[in-house]
Amino acid sequence: MRLSFFLHLVIGILSWSWAAASTDSQEQIVKDFFDKNSNSNNEGSTHTNNWAVLVCASRYWFNYRHMANALGMYRTVKRLGIPDSNIILMLADDVSCNQRNKFPGSVYFTPDRGVDLYGDNIEVDYRGYEVTVENFIRVLTGRMEPSVPRSKRLLTDERSNVFVYMTGHGGNEFLKFQDNEEISAFDIADAFEQMYQKKRYNEIFFMIDTCQANTMYSKFYSPNILATGSSELGESSYSHANDHDIGVAVIDAYTHYVLEYMENVNKTSHASMQQLFSYIDPVKINSHFGVRTDLFTRSLDNIRLTDFFGGVAQAEIVSRPETDNTNINRIEEEEVLSERNITEAHSRPRLPNQQTISWWSYATSPQYKQLRIWSSLVMLGGLIGLVFSRK
Amino acid sequence: MEQERPPSKWKNILDKLRNLGQISPDKTRRTILRRRYYVALISRRLTLIEIILFLIGYLWLLVLPLPRLGQRTYMDENALQPAQVNTYWNWDDVHAADNYLDHVERLRDNNITSAKRAEWLQTELGKHGISASTQNYTFSTSFGIVNGTNTYAILASPRHSGTEAIVISASWISRIGEGNGTVNVRGVSTVLALAGFLKRYSHWGKDIVFVLSDGYLEGMQAWLSSYHGTSQSGLKVDPLELTSGVIWTALNIDYSGHSFSHLGIFFEALNGRLPNQDLMNSADTIARYTAGVPVILYDHLDPEEEPAAYEAPWWLPKAIHDIKEVRSYLYQAKNVARHIGYQYNGRGSGVHGLFRQFRIDAITLYGIPAMGPHGFHAIGRTVESTLRTMNNLLERLHASFFFYLQTGPRQFLKIGLYLPSAILISVALMFRGLGTWVNAGWISANHNSKDGALSKESTWRSRKRPITGTLSVMIAMHAFGAALFALVSSSWFISNIETLAPIAFLTAFVLPLFALVIPSTKSEDVAPMHMILKTANLCLTSTVISIITLMNFSLAAVLAVVLGIPLVISSPSSKMSVRIAKYSAYALLALGWLLFAQQEIVKSVWSWQVLLVWFAPFVCIVYVPLVLQAGIVCLLQP
Amino acid sequence: MSSKPQPPSSSPPPNNNFAVAFCALAAARTWLSLTGFSSLLDHNQLVSSPLTAFSNLKEGIFLFNHDIDPYSGGSFRQSPLLLSLFTTILPSSSKPLASLLWTLNDVVGAYTLVQIWRSRQNVTSSRRDTLVAAAYLLNPYLFLPSLALSTSSFENTLMLSAILFACKRKPSQTVFTLSVLVQLSLTSIIMVLPAMLLLITDPHSHLASPQPIQTSLRKLWPLFGEFSLYTIVLILISTVIAGSWTWIPQTWGATLMLPDLTPNTGMWWYFFTEMFDHFRPFFLMVFSVHLLIYVAPVCLKFQYDPLYAAYILLGILGIFKPYPTLSDPGLFVSMIALFPETYQYMRHPIVTLLLHLHAALLMPLFYDLWVVQGAGNANFFYASTLVFACANGAAIVDALWSGLRVAIGETPEGYVVVQE
Repeated sequence: MRLSFFLHLVIGILSWSWAAASTDSQEQIVKDFFDKNSNSNNEGSTHTNNWAVLVCASRYWFNYRHMANALGMYRTVKRLGIPDSNIILMLADDVSCNQRNKFPGSVYFTPDRGVDLYGDNIEVDYRGYEVTVENFIRVLTGRMEPSVPRSKRLLTDERSNVFVYMTGHGGNEFLKFQDNEEISAFDIADAFEQMYQKKRYNEIFFMIDTCQANTMYSKFYSPNILATGSSELGESSYSHANDHDIGVAVIDAYTHYVLEYMENVNKTSHASMQQLFSYIDPVKINSHFGVRTDLFTRSLDNIRLTDFFGGVAQAEIVSRPETDNTNINRIEEEEVLSERNITEAHSRPRLPNQQTISWWSYATSPQYKQLRIWSSLVMLGGLIGLVFSRK
Repeated sequence: MEQERPPSKWKNILDKLRNLGQISPDKTRRTILRRRYYVALISRRLTLIEIILFLIGYLWLLVLPLPRLGQRTYMDENALQPAQVNTYWNWDDVHAADNYLDHVERLRDNNITSAKRAEWLQTELGKHGISASTQNYTFSTSFGIVNGTNTYAILASPRHSGTEAIVISASWISRIGEGNGTVNVRGVSTVLALAGFLKRYSHWGKDIVFVLSDGYLEGMQAWLSSYHGTSQSGLKVDPLELTSGVIWTALNIDYSGHSFSHLGIFFEALNGRLPNQDLMNSADTIARYTAGVPVILYDHLDPEEEPAAYEAPWWLPKAIHDIKEVRSYLYQAKNVARHIGYQYNGRGSGVHGLFRQFRIDAITLYGIPAMGPHGFHAIGRTVESTLRTMNNLLERLHASFFFYLQTGPRQFLKIGLYLPSAILISVALMFRGLGTWVNAGWISANHNSKDGALSKESTWRSRKRPITGTLSVMIAMHAFGAALFALVSSSWFISNIETLAPIAFLTAFVLPLFALVIPSTKSEDVAPMHMILKTANLCLTSTVISIITLMNFSLAAVLAVVLGIPLVISSPSSKMSVRIAKYSAYALLALGWLLFAQQEIVKSVWSWQVLLVWFAPFVCIVYVPLVLQAGIVCLLQP
Repeated sequence: MSSKPQPPSSSPPPNNNFAVAFCALAAARTWLSLTGFSSLLDHNQLVSSPLTAFSNLKEGIFLFNHDIDPYSGGSFRQSPLLLSLFTTILPSSSKPLASLLWTLNDVVGAYTLVQIWRSRQNVTSSRRDTLVAAAYLLNPYLFLPSLALSTSSFENTLMLSAILFACKRKPSQTVFTLSVLVQLSLTSIIMVLPAMLLLITDPHSHLASPQPIQTSLRKLWPLFGEFSLYTIVLILISTVIAGSWTWIPQTWGATLMLPDLTPNTGMWWYFFTEMFDHFRPFFLMVFSVHLLIYVAPVCLKFQYDPLYAAYILLGILGIFKPYPTLSDPGLFVSMIALFPETYQYMRHPIVTLLLHLHAALLMPLFYDLWVVQGAGNANFFYASTLVFACANGAAIVDALWSGLRVAIGETPEGYVVVQE
């Protein structure tokens, strides 16, 4: 016994010292792997996957532009390489199918109707009344019912860069959802903190286009969040263009200029956030957009747009473990069988119970209704007679 | 038991609690004196307070049209999005309307029966592929029997379930001269051409119902009441073959002249109701920006926009009416006066007025007859764009945009700015009523003492204020009013109005003279009846005015002006001749309409029987008794 | 007693007059109930609440006749006793017959009020009888709900009958009527104590000579026992009718939990539409307990005249009941006719009267603006019900003041009575 313990000890110490010696080189490998994207200043992003959550929080026909905002953003991130599986698109209404839409099945974001945002390949993950504050927060924090399909989940990890875009009608520190509830700046800030603690992101880029939008990111306190909004406290966000055939405004100004800039960005672009923000002119959009960088370590010059709008392509070939599958199937079948047994076992003794019906059920059954009602009347009459005959 | 009970402690607490609410006698005395002082102050200054209230109230009514008081109109409902669409109504459609016009003019000139006419209209609407139908109606009233045939068609929404609808209507008779018989030829043609035009588009979220009603008002009343399944005594109407969903908004087109220079907006509905202001504001915005037509209120041209059409009133020196503010004031005053004229008698200002009773917001677009420059092209575009705006609605128009005083096409007063004028006058009446009540309750003990020198020392003692007698008089007067109404609204009276109205006046004049024989209360301990009657009369009048302000501000304002001062100054007199003279003045105020406004009687009774406008019963059952009671106050012995 | 008492032997002729006048009043009411006027009130929330509406009663009867438990939904909330009576011996399908029944009920109510007046004055008839009857039969707050066939009219008649039995010292009848009343409306339970006090004292006016109650309160215990007994028997009868206990949460439970927020003339509905859900149970408790709070102080203060205490409590019930109709404050208003001795001491009767006049006109107007025309909103109507509550509150304050003030009598020159 003593000997074996001693041996263990020796082996343990040896292995530890070897491990300690090799750590440096391994860490370097991992770091190099993740820092592939970083530039010479070592200030690049260290993410390995990209996600986007795009929310249009308002419904109704006259809010066409909010749907177009979110769909425009959807088109851009998809073009730059984020696959549908990594985009959570929440649209509170379906303007393409609105009976007032002169171009059924289409949504446009420019008055010349060049691009149909609602073309062939649209995957709306949350639509209509599913777009609620609760669902939005569940998406961010990942606290889902087991039954929620993967397409509706934000399956991020600590190496994910997440782009969160929101649009709708808002005010000081709130954004309206569906005209009947609101999300507050604190709610989003707390959700992001929860994401941070649960290691659900590497970096977040939060963009919001609504009235008094900058108040919405003022409460964030978790690290590595870059945020931008379309207007200051007390300012409205304005729409950009009207389509006179559709009859409503089709895009908001801030989103319009962001998308306009993004049109010239491709997957290999090295354009930085700084360049995007210099492109947007507060005079043209009629409001003072804001950028919050204090939670972010890298400078705006060093953040590539593709860090958030683009996708990191990843392809792995995994062999399909067929044998395992059949096993599972078999086990499932057995379980089903046993469940059936159980249910049968339960149901059998119930039968005699159902046959014994108490006198009370007779009394309450419809056939005896007349009896009940007249007898109660007699009782009432008797009682009245009794009472009034008393001296 | 040796247990230590602390009675003293509990007692202390209880005592403290008891003393908490106690007030020292001295303080009480001061409170009483102070209260008396203020009561005395108010009762001494009561007349002054009333005069101030009356002055402010009347002045307020006068300053309502001031341009500075109002504010610009604005859109409240986000969904409407007026003037945001391209219009496609084009010269082809204008040509179609011109073709219809030829036919319609032929129908008018050949004196075709309304049934034949409706048949033609139905066929034409059906040619567009829209389901169309006709409906016969018959009104039997004191004026005899009126019948006619409405035509209507329903363009079903291509991509929606048809639970909501918009009405586009044109009545056969135009509103010119308040329905004097001019045929609304171009209005009808516009609707026919629009039906064909609108059918070509698929973006209608609501059914569009085209109604070509017969007559001026009665046809639409028949159509609406059968659409909504209400029954009305004296109306026999075919059930509708086609129906659609809930109607939210309606647009009535009235265009009978050759062309028009401006679009006039008429909006007053029956019984003092008003449509949602957003509808007017949308039509105004659309006409201005989409069709390029200037919009005016009624047919009043704005002197600033149309200086050529401006006629200076003769009684105003040129130096004064050259001031811009004065001209604006006069213009807005004209608008307010016209509005009051339409609203106070509850008859509304046209066909659109019938819709509001079914909670439908409606206005009339009236092409002001002129020799150009606008015609079918402009009105078609305006209607098309307005329809797109109405089509955008997601729910009924709401947001309490129903209480306003329109002083110009783009200028209005909110409820808080106009309501207080009538309310202040009603408060003044209430003060006088309460003051009279308080005075009735006291009598000076030295009332009859001959030596005036000692009256400074006079003491007051309370006296009884019996109300049963007064109440009986009032109930009798109101019952008398009801009888008067029954008489006035009978067909016998209407057909012989010229002979019967003076007789009715004389009867109604003579009956209250029975008050002369009511003995005065000899006892000093009982308040004289005239004081109590005056109290009750003033309080009731004040209540009536303040309640009416919310239903029909114009009526309340008119009542405040007509009843305010006359009712306050009613008082008995010792001289018989003065009493009779005063009473005669009141009787003339109460019943003068029987002598001088027989045409109005006919119109009001017709409105009551056909359109259920309650102005006629209100005048007979409420107004006449209130004024006659003031007259009785003068008749009673002091 | 400050008013002139009528000598008992005074008048056969006025008695005849009374009979004629009473018949005339009853005939007028019958005529009114058979005119088409009542159809205007069918869906009016001012005259019938979800707990008293005739349409709901008919719904319940329909469900019952079609073998569906009427208490399984949320529409029928009336007592099983009404269900039993209206499916068997009382008319519900024929509107004219039902109208006649309701009118008859009001006539009985009016006669009961006259009897209460007579026993308070200790006379067999008086010249005021007609006035008292008219105060009941011509009170619009009472006849409008009756025209709309609201079952609150029955509650009023039962209330008056209970008081009359108490005046006539018939303990069993009083207690039984009360327990039937409680079956119909749970909140009427606050009337049990004053009615029993009335039973063990007398109905005559002692307002002018206040003194502590003379009889021993121990007499109350058997009465309470009897009340509980009848209540239990009636609960059993109700359960037999309904076939299960589900009627309890649907009828009494509704009074306590306020599940139906249909607007009415009372104070509860608006408050609870605005309430956050997690405060709801607490405020339901506060509102319900608040009704009970008044019983003890009012009965203590007016222990020398329990009829007056009952009158005050009826007024309070009219304001603060969970599902009031116009007939609840209406009963209070009509009962003013019983207390002429207090009239001259009322502080501000004309103000109260004018408030009532305004409220009575504003409530239907604002209801129409909100519900029918859609030009106003709920706040309009709520404001008018607040005016109504103020009017009723002013009436109660006046009744309290004048009821207490009678004891002091005429003040000599230079003296004022103040409240401390």
